Amino acid sequence: MTLSAQAGTAQPITELLDAETVQSIADEVWPSLVGDGEAFVPVPVPPPADVVSAWVDILGPWTGSVVVTCAPATAEALTESVLMMRPPSTVDAEDVADALGELANVLGGNIKSVLPGESRLGLPQVGAAPPRGRLDDVRSLVGQWRGDFLTITVQGATGAQHAERIEEKPL
Amino acid sequence: MIDDSRAMRRIVGTILKDFGYDVREAGDGRQALDALEEGRAEGWVPDLCCIDWNMPVMDGLQFVFAVRANPGYRQVTLMMVTTESETGQIVKALAAGAHEYLIKPFTADALRDKLALLGLLPEEVTA
Repeated sequence: MTLSAQAGTAQPITELLDAETVQSIADEVWPSLVGDGEAFVPVPVPPPADVVSAWVDILGPWTGSVVVTCAPATAEALTESVLMMRPPSTVDAEDVADALGELANVLGGNIKSVLPGESRLGLPQVGAAPPRGRLDDVRSLVGQWRGDFLTITVQGATGAQHAERIEEKPL
Repeated sequence: MIDDSRAMRRIVGTILKDFGYDVREAGDGRQALDALEEGRAEGWVPDLCCIDWNMPVMDGLQFVFAVRANPGYRQVTLMMVTTESETGQIVKALAAGAHEYLIKPFTADALRDKLALLGLLPEEVTA
């Protein structure tokens, strides 16, 4: 699904969602989906040269995406954990797309539920992260999982309009 | 277990197998309906369908409507297992004929509690 600009009066995500809420959602998602004792730790580490992303789109009063980004090796490790794989089993690209996509899906669904109004959730996608919209329409948590770089980004769609943009100034 | 995510099918399937269930999987509502039809031809009808909401081809709500429209599946218990957590969505699913609703993420204990509520937990698990 490709997001298109929606004429609307949505506030930017920075006014709708704070970092603590995203972290609390991640705190619930990690142990239940990634595994017992697992956690997303919001302590930044240097980003890797190469990254892969999974995301779901949210369409509603606020339109954008919830994106999980990490190094390919981290994505594989996450997949092994989500799929409860034990060596010598190896993950393939389809496994990674599935597991990382489900992580984005569960994070996205829970983030959607705290946004105002009725919204729709798209199906998970994996690849290079979609382009970001306005700079102030991004809520990003940079952190780590098992010491490796991982970010959760809630970002407005390119061209999404916001209240302060479309309001007419009084004469 | 009906979910387009193999990861989620595996997670829920593992828990259900631990509870003694024989688990069959489908990747969307259409596949699940086909599996139900094939099963019925063999004399098999599931006790429980765990259903994701957002799936390609046929979503979970469409599946619930389709199952509830078929008197042959009247005894099948339907439980939504989904990230859709707004009250309006829950009401919509229950009104369509789902019996229970479990929001992702969830723990094995939460799934166990729902099954107990539905009277679908085997005695050896409850003991």
